[in-house]
Amino acid sequence: MDICIAGLDKTFDNRDRVIFKDLTATFRTGKTSVLLGKSGVGKSSLLNLVAGIDTPDRGRIQIGDTVVSDMDDAGRTLFRRRHIGFVFQSFNLIPVLTVLENVGLVGQLDGRPDRDIKEKAAFLLETVGLADRLLDFPDRLSGGEQQRVALARALINDPEIILADEPTGNLDGKTGTAVLELITDQAKRLHKTLVMVTHSPDALAWADEVFTVENYALVPGNGI
Amino acid sequence: MRLSPLIRTCFRSSKAQLLRTFLLIFGIALGVAGVVAIDIAKISVSKSFELSTAALTKRATHQITGADFTVPQSLFVRLRTHLGLHKTAPVIAREVLVPELDGRTLTLMGIDPFSESHFRDIRFRTGTNGISQDSGDPRTVMTRGDGVILSGSLAASGELGVDSALTLTFGGREVTTRIGALLAGGDKNPAFDGVILADIALAQEILGMGNRISRIDLVLDSDAETARVRELLPPGLTLTKTEDRNQTIRSLSRSFETSLTAFSMLVLFMGIFLIYNTVSFSVARRRGLNGTLRALGATRQEIFLSVQAEVLVYALAGSALGVGLGILLGTGAVRAVIATVSDMYYTLTVSRTHITFAILLKGVLVGILAAVGSSLMPAVNAANTRPVTLMQRSASESRLSVYLPGLTTGGVLAIAAALIIFNWPGASVNLVFAGVFLIFTGGSFLTPALVALITRGADAATVKFSGRHRLMPAMAMRNVRRSLSRTSVLIASLMVVVSVYIGIDTMTRSFRLSIVHWVDGHIGGDVHVASLDDLNRSLDKTLLDKILAMPDVRAVSAYNIHRAFSEASGEVHIFSYLRDLSKKEWTWRSPGVKRDGDVDRLLEDGWIIVSEIFARQNGLMPESQDASGGLFVAMDTLRGPETFRVAGIFRDFFMGGGRVVVSRETMKTFWGHDDITAMQIFVHGEADAKKSAVQRVMGKIRGIDRNDNAPDETPGSALLKIRSGLDIKQSILAAFDKTFLITSALQVLTAIVALTGIINSVMALILERARELGILRACGALPSQVRTLVLWECAVSGFLAGLLALPLGAFLSWVLVHVVNFRSFGWTYDMHLSGATMIQAVAFSGTAALLAGIAPAFRAGRVDIVKALRTE
Repeated sequence: MDICIAGLDKTFDNRDRVIFKDLTATFRTGKTSVLLGKSGVGKSSLLNLVAGIDTPDRGRIQIGDTVVSDMDDAGRTLFRRRHIGFVFQSFNLIPVLTVLENVGLVGQLDGRPDRDIKEKAAFLLETVGLADRLLDFPDRLSGGEQQRVALARALINDPEIILADEPTGNLDGKTGTAVLELITDQAKRLHKTLVMVTHSPDALAWADEVFTVENYALVPGNGI
Repeated sequence: MRLSPLIRTCFRSSKAQLLRTFLLIFGIALGVAGVVAIDIAKISVSKSFELSTAALTKRATHQITGADFTVPQSLFVRLRTHLGLHKTAPVIAREVLVPELDGRTLTLMGIDPFSESHFRDIRFRTGTNGISQDSGDPRTVMTRGDGVILSGSLAASGELGVDSALTLTFGGREVTTRIGALLAGGDKNPAFDGVILADIALAQEILGMGNRISRIDLVLDSDAETARVRELLPPGLTLTKTEDRNQTIRSLSRSFETSLTAFSMLVLFMGIFLIYNTVSFSVARRRGLNGTLRALGATRQEIFLSVQAEVLVYALAGSALGVGLGILLGTGAVRAVIATVSDMYYTLTVSRTHITFAILLKGVLVGILAAVGSSLMPAVNAANTRPVTLMQRSASESRLSVYLPGLTTGGVLAIAAALIIFNWPGASVNLVFAGVFLIFTGGSFLTPALVALITRGADAATVKFSGRHRLMPAMAMRNVRRSLSRTSVLIASLMVVVSVYIGIDTMTRSFRLSIVHWVDGHIGGDVHVASLDDLNRSLDKTLLDKILAMPDVRAVSAYNIHRAFSEASGEVHIFSYLRDLSKKEWTWRSPGVKRDGDVDRLLEDGWIIVSEIFARQNGLMPESQDASGGLFVAMDTLRGPETFRVAGIFRDFFMGGGRVVVSRETMKTFWGHDDITAMQIFVHGEADAKKSAVQRVMGKIRGIDRNDNAPDETPGSALLKIRSGLDIKQSILAAFDKTFLITSALQVLTAIVALTGIINSVMALILERARELGILRACGALPSQVRTLVLWECAVSGFLAGLLALPLGAFLSWVLVHVVNFRSFGWTYDMHLSGATMIQAVAFSGTAALLAGIAPAFRAGRVDIVKALRTE
């Protein structure tokens, strides 16, 4: 699924702070796109807008045939649940759920059959190398392990889009590299559209396309 | 760093969360209001007792009264002429109903104005400048006897004035008189707010007392004088000390004071817990802010003081609001309690709301101390924790897990201490209340461990039921356990409130059941007949035979009831039966007395049986038996003090000095009565047939009454009060329900307290978990799913609080039934712990939590995902 953004405006603080002005971009199906930029320029905001977590002031966000920017909150939520997997910088696992339950959460929220969810979650956890930690709670895992659980969770509903917001930001260099490799490898293997915000120069090695957020817009290239 | 910027920061943070700040202030206000309201009720009832008797007795040291409650007026003259006693005053006092004053019961008091100077402060002046034109001259009215006098404020309440007609209803009679003058009411003569004054001759005329009076008041300065008066008294008249005479009223007043103190303590406990709940949550929500301030260089002391200063300001605001609210609630409570006392026990003719500075000060102090005390631990924690951990909420949970063993041990010790207190033979009421507080505290200390245990157990037990239906309850249970430092405070507070609900409900229900049992046993007759006129209680002697001859009548229990005086318990009702068909519930029987037949035999031998209250007031406890296993009591009789042996003690809910049952022979010998004053008639048939029989018998007795009391035949003979047993039972139960109106109000208060506490706590919890809720939303949870999760958490917390409240509530019920009520009224009754009450309590707790969770749940559903994800 392509992600097409056209004429996007976004402001914060009662329109005092402009984030995007007439931003236009396309993230192509099956490609890994990396977003770069200084802190506070709106990289994470763009992911939030694409995921339907936030809404633009003006403009159009279309994913496949669906115009996400025209949907109401419930519509965006259901769309996000079924078509988008989100990986956060702070992992954002639910502390009271086990590893297996965390991964299965999105499927359960969607009302999918329990057996399917369990099997799929176990498979994904095996894929990310955590087959022996299914019944552990998140606080027993290292940062790298938590991020791998988060990746498995992002893949549980077999989404066409994966959004990763600085997935290595809270990890050390070596672990970060391993996680990056895992995410991009999974995205490529499963032919997902991956949009990743990162500060890590290592990420460029896996990128098909690189964009930089500057001057309220998205420009191709790493801005150097 | 100066303190003011810290305080300013705290207040700005509160300003940003106005609703929660309001809930904090309201929480404190509610706690204070409950305490103030009950204290106002307590003081006002006590004052009403005092004022209602002050008008009647005032400075008299002694009183002369008659066995039939009248005294010949000639005795007053003899006291003055034969003994030269001038500090004497004749008095007539009788309760009358006044339709013009909304049917209020007042005391018609007949006095001799010339004898009054030594006794009562009746100020025969109106206003401050003498007699006003439209108030009449009370002194002239009194000496001429042309009309009655009542206080200006009392008359104004019924829009009455001088020359207005006043109808006095008493003993089935109705007399119309005129208001001759008005007394300065209000603060000048507060005790006369419930009194209608009349010249003694006019009072005799109105009441049809001929040349008899109710009593003679005396001021006796020496034992010699007392002895001389005693020598002069003919049989049937008694000289008693006024303070002994007021014993019953004082004891009744004390009963209500103790009972209201118990309620006041319960409200205080709930108030403290509510305040602790709201304040600790409020301080906890500042964790992050305090962490940042500490990181920026604020000292521990500065953090501590800024937290305390903020809480103090809210405590002052909450206390002020609570005092106002308490005055409003208290005014209502005073009305309810006084109406109850007047309806059931003793007519309180003066009813005013007394609001003293001490009550208000106590309310404010409770608010401030509870709030500041509640914030002490969180403030100390905030000040002592390292900045980095202060910014993380998980630090609170880690700290709790460190304290948990100590807290649990403390809880067990507190409960053990309470149990020792309750089993302490001579424990005072205050010590018992301290025990209740220890129980509540112990229960609260045990809450975190119990909640962790139960939720863990439930989680383990339901683990096999995986799937989306288990997701929400499982998450809710785990969230409750994970946030134990917060949820246990919420659950403990709700647990205290629910246990108070259980305690009050069980007490009321048990009492009601016992009353029903007592009414069925004691007042089991289908038709009751008595005299309408309490100055002429004797029934026509042929009436019994006429009733027995009726075909519908199965049996008649005829008895005479008279009032006597006992130094230990004041006024006592003495009964004797021609035939007793009532079923008594014995709390003690003399050794060897096995059956009611044995009791009858002993009564014939001159023994007596007494009610529980009489036994208690006269120190007749089974453990005080002499070597022969007997209990003895001395009572005033026509022959002077006589000692009687007690055959048994029966359960009785009649207030006053208690009841004594004697044989008819004993009654005749010692109190000079052999008449019949009341009858209980038992009719044939069941259900509808019985109803018809009751109506037929009542109709026939009315017919007899009308014929016998035709003016030309037997003038002055008693008119009959004929009521069905069912009617009496219903009115007793209605009066009972009215008595417990204040407890129902207390239950409503507990519901409000519970709701306020939970709303505040749940909102704080939601605020703290904004990030987690944001994650759920980001992962694709719909607002409705987030709402469901929050409501599940509320339901789990409410259910757990209800569950933990069951043993605590049962315990409180035991204390209320067996300690507070017994100490207050001398009644014992069996405790009926009802399964329905228990289910209701858990349902109440869960529902209250669910209701309180609705607003926070909707708020949680609307969580701003972007903002929430940025929150630590």
